[in-house]
Amino acid sequence: MVKSTLTPMFWALTPKPKSPKQPSPAFANSTPLVRHKASVNPTTPPPPPPSSAYIHLPFCRKRCHYCDFPILALGSASTPDDPRLSNYVHHLCREITATKPHAHTPLQTVYFGGGTPSLVPPTLVSSVLETLRAKFGIREDAEISMEMDPGTFDAEKMREMVVLGLNRVSLGVQAFQEELLRACGRAHGVKEVLEAIRVVKSCGVRNWSIDLIASLPHQSSDMWEESLRLTVDSQPTHVSVYDLQIEQGTKFGRLYSPGEFPLPSETQSAEFYKMASRILGDANYNHYEISSYCKSGYECKHNFTYWKNKPFYGFGLGSTSFVGGLRFSRPRKVNDYFNFVQNLENGLVNSSGDGQIHGKDTAMDVVMLSLRTSQGLDLKCFQESFGSPIVLSLLEVYKPYVESGLVVCLDEHRKSIRVDDLNNTERKVVYMRLSDPEGFLLSNELIALAFGVIDSWNDCPSYQEAEATLKQEFIC
Amino acid sequence: MTQFSRSAAQYPLLWIQTTSFSRKSSTLDGFYSHTLLHTAVFPQNPEMGYLSKASKILRQSNYLSLSRNFNFNPITGRITNERFSMTRAVLCSHSRQNSTAREKNSIDLSEYPPELVRNFSIIAHVDHGKSTLADRLLELTGTIKKGHGQPQYLDKLQVERERGITVKAQTATMFYKHSVNGDDNSDGKESPNFLLNLIDTPGHVDFTYEVSRSLAACQGVLLVVDAAQGVQAQTVANFYLAFESNLTIVPVINKIDQPTADPDRVKAQLKSMFDLDPSDALLTSAKTGEGLEQILPAVIERIPAPPGRSDSPLRMLLLDSYYDEYRGVICHVAVVDGVLRKGDKISAAATGQSYEALDIGIMHPELTPTGILLTGQVGYVVSGMRSTKEARVGDTIYHTRNAVEPLPGFKPAKHMVFSGLYPADGSDFEALNHAIERLTCNDASVSITKETSTALGLGFRCGFLGLLHMDVFHQRLEQEYGAHVISTVPTVPYIFEFSDGSKLEVQNPATLPSNPKQRVTACWEPTVIATIIIPSEYVGPVITLVSERRGHQLEYSFIDSQRIFMKYRLPLREIVVDFYNELKSITSGYASFDYEDSDYQQADLVKLDILLNGQPVDAMATIVHNTKAYRVGRELAEKLKNVIDRQMFEISIQAAIGSKIIARETISAMRKNVLAKCYGGDVTRKRKLLEKQKEGKKRMKRVGSVDIPQEAFHQLLKVS
Ligand SMILES: Nc1nc2c(ncn2[C@@H]2O[C@H](COP(=O)(O)OP(=O)(O)O)[C@@H](O)[C@H]2O)c(=O)[nH]1
Ligand SMILES: [Mg+2]
Repeated sequence: MVKSTLTPMFWALTPKPKSPKQPSPAFANSTPLVRHKASVNPTTPPPPPPSSAYIHLPFCRKRCHYCDFPILALGSASTPDDPRLSNYVHHLCREITATKPHAHTPLQTVYFGGGTPSLVPPTLVSSVLETLRAKFGIREDAEISMEMDPGTFDAEKMREMVVLGLNRVSLGVQAFQEELLRACGRAHGVKEVLEAIRVVKSCGVRNWSIDLIASLPHQSSDMWEESLRLTVDSQPTHVSVYDLQIEQGTKFGRLYSPGEFPLPSETQSAEFYKMASRILGDANYNHYEISSYCKSGYECKHNFTYWKNKPFYGFGLGSTSFVGGLRFSRPRKVNDYFNFVQNLENGLVNSSGDGQIHGKDTAMDVVMLSLRTSQGLDLKCFQESFGSPIVLSLLEVYKPYVESGLVVCLDEHRKSIRVDDLNNTERKVVYMRLSDPEGFLLSNELIALAFGVIDSWNDCPSYQEAEATLKQEFIC
Repeated sequence: MTQFSRSAAQYPLLWIQTTSFSRKSSTLDGFYSHTLLHTAVFPQNPEMGYLSKASKILRQSNYLSLSRNFNFNPITGRITNERFSMTRAVLCSHSRQNSTAREKNSIDLSEYPPELVRNFSIIAHVDHGKSTLADRLLELTGTIKKGHGQPQYLDKLQVERERGITVKAQTATMFYKHSVNGDDNSDGKESPNFLLNLIDTPGHVDFTYEVSRSLAACQGVLLVVDAAQGVQAQTVANFYLAFESNLTIVPVINKIDQPTADPDRVKAQLKSMFDLDPSDALLTSAKTGEGLEQILPAVIERIPAPPGRSDSPLRMLLLDSYYDEYRGVICHVAVVDGVLRKGDKISAAATGQSYEALDIGIMHPELTPTGILLTGQVGYVVSGMRSTKEARVGDTIYHTRNAVEPLPGFKPAKHMVFSGLYPADGSDFEALNHAIERLTCNDASVSITKETSTALGLGFRCGFLGLLHMDVFHQRLEQEYGAHVISTVPTVPYIFEFSDGSKLEVQNPATLPSNPKQRVTACWEPTVIATIIIPSEYVGPVITLVSERRGHQLEYSFIDSQRIFMKYRLPLREIVVDFYNELKSITSGYASFDYEDSDYQQADLVKLDILLNGQPVDAMATIVHNTKAYRVGRELAEKLKNVIDRQMFEISIQAAIGSKIIARETISAMRKNVLAKCYGGDVTRKRKLLEKQKEGKKRMKRVGSVDIPQEAFHQLLKVS
């Protein structure tokens, strides 16, 4: 399934004028909107419409101590008929409806994220889905996911959701230790976790994920191992392992600094990461993305939209869309968001953002996102879009890390190529990926290296010549 | 040893001539932008009898050897001081007050025969009041208006103002009416108008070459001594510079307004150290104005007029040059003999090139055409030279049709401190190149050669006259040209001898092979003779410091009951980094210090390499004395450990002598740097984060795959 989602990755790129394969008549007439020759002209070709939609349902009982998302804390007294819920969903549906009709195709993925979407009554979820269906259509086999928190739903609610078409659940367990859940400010305990797991399984949701957080304050190695084992025992088809990120402005941000007690040290935290990789790997989960594991065939299709740099709609408070090659973030404050919806309906704003797409930015996004996956960066596609000098430079900076095992080069059959063979023209490097777990663990460093290459890309004076001479012999 | 003994005659620091520290082109402070230092060495005609009083009566003093050009008799003996008029502000004096008509007319230089010209300089230890005194004299003559302009009028450079030091000697011409011997009424005439050229000089040891040049243009000096502080190290050094040049010395005891002023004690010091007659000393306060009125009469009466022959063929000494964007190269010249007229065909002796004197005149302070320059006068010549390189300072210029015996010229500058200068951001090489070119265009005192470092990329090896000189150069690069530089640890020129008889002068430690094929048979390092004057209570710590720096005591005596005078031979290397600061700090600032170049001495020197993951970092190599190698190696390794960030692999830092590792530190590999979650809305934010990380990497220097922060290079400068 991964492969099938691959091709549209570079849709946003104008074919280079020199490329013999894709002569672009439009290019000759259009004035370039951006400076660099490698930049993208957003007018051509028409990008494919998104087939994924992210829906933000921002409600929570209370804010967790690590969270800096745009959420709305309802308080524990709130009931399903809380007008804030219906009012928000009302605006959300208006936003969907008011969105400029792009040449649209039926949605293949819908993702309800939050917040705690499972707090929203099924009737309201239903109205969102109906609105989407009316606007874009939803494919019969679409993946419809929802983030659900233990303690916010029972079997009945779950069943209602399934009836609405929900077929994937991302369960926010975070930890299996009472004291850790409390310390994070979670609104549920271990009992609710176990109950939620039971409910999800009993309602016939075959595709479900347990989400865990590693490197919590006071988390010991034993605790982490216990959480992983209990996760494996629960037999979800998917596991997400997020590392606690200490964000400014959160309670944790005020209390703790990374790497210092009671947070685990950098070394410990690396051990946690490796432990997850080992235990989940031993239990037959594929580590298909830096923080995602799944049983074969259970990758989260929606998330792959992001990692493949494909377009997606975003609806709701603070959500980001990526339509027409442009990323656009909605207001993070409720009133601002409501005004935005109003203006959108009145045609005063559009939700696709404005600005220009720069080749460099796209290249950086592509590298950053695809190196997060075990699939890695498809150098063949990358080179077609950005030219071979940049690919050569990438290989060059990564060479020491291929040698030290942080980066893996693969041939067209995804067989790894040893560093000595890198210059061997017989075995062309077609994919480049980070190793698991060492390469993933240092992904920021490695990606930043690639950014350096992309950044100096235009400085290279012999770009054109290099391209001309290298094209035939390299990769493609 | 003798083989490399650098006699002063070979490397005479005094006669280094340079056009250093001239200012930027006329844009910034146009008014004084053309006022460069004018100094020359002229042949002395012994019969002329211009020997100063001081020089005639001076006993063979113990301190005589302090003089930087003590052994430099071949030149000294020929030095005299011809006539100059280093005109800067000619109009400003009486003329401006009295006669506007005169401003309209061009200046008639024929009004100033040599008898009415005096060229003098002010020399002093730093902060004793040279610049302030110069201000007062300029005001007194109406050259500048009182209260107008900034104080320390002649200190124009930003560095000078910020640091309160004078770097670039400056000249100003004043007019002053004075009746000599009270005879102005005897024939019913007015007192004659004198043309006085005042040269403010730097005080710091590094800028002695500027002092020397100033002095070569003078017939006398005001030796200014702070009435409370008394004689200090640079007083001694400057005195001997003047003395060796056979200049008349007018002692001025300044700051007598201070409560702690003790002029009598200072007079006694002047007498005992320099054999200067106490009754000759003028007592002044540049602050209150007290006693200032005696100064110019003393200048006129005691200092001789410049000599020179009007009827001889033209001989001009090229004093200085700078490049003007509009007019090309502008040369400052002193007419030693003969007369120069506009339109004359002239030639330069050193280059053999011929030119036409397209425009000539005086510095007024701006260039003011006069059409003529007479014997003893100083002015400018525009002759269509295309580069300042054609204008060799010290060269003799003569009428093309009338070849002459060249004047003894200045000797090239001797660079004693070298360091690599690299753009902080590797891609800025061109910008740095341009900045350095501009700055050195008028500052030949810095030697520049391109060099390449694996760690730092393309850069320059720069030779400086001393540490402050280096510092000031950096500061000017940054302030005036906005350049950001990384400097490597300063080093001195060593000489290595090998078993095959070959020799290598090492200005950059990286160029010395770490494992030479030929055995090193001898190493030589330059030394200095240091003069240190301190209150007696600090003797203990100072002696400890100097011994740590491998100093060898040559002299120890009392200046008076409270003050010690010491002379040491020290390896130059040992004072290059942080010596002066250390000395000041252990003496609560009371020590004064000066040094002069001395011979090379043999020493047990080794090259200390710094290796990162086994790869030597060329820009971090140093040459150290064997006994200090271990300590320095350890210190360097530790410093680096603290400034280099963890990376994706373990980093070993080693200090090595040849193949022997003498110190080692390890930076363990980074374990984890990952952004664990990445949902759709996060892409931009995450990318920004990583881009920031990338920017950080970009600023780093790289050896092998080890990224070295710029800070590492700055830190190394602090290891002595
Ligand atoms: N009290 C007093 N201070 C003075 C006198 N002359 C100069 N100064 C001060 O001494 C300091 C150094 O003077 P400056 O002219 O810069 O010394 P330079 O380094 O020799 O040029 C300045 O703060 C002056 O204001 C004086 O006659 N009396
Ligand atoms: Mg001064």
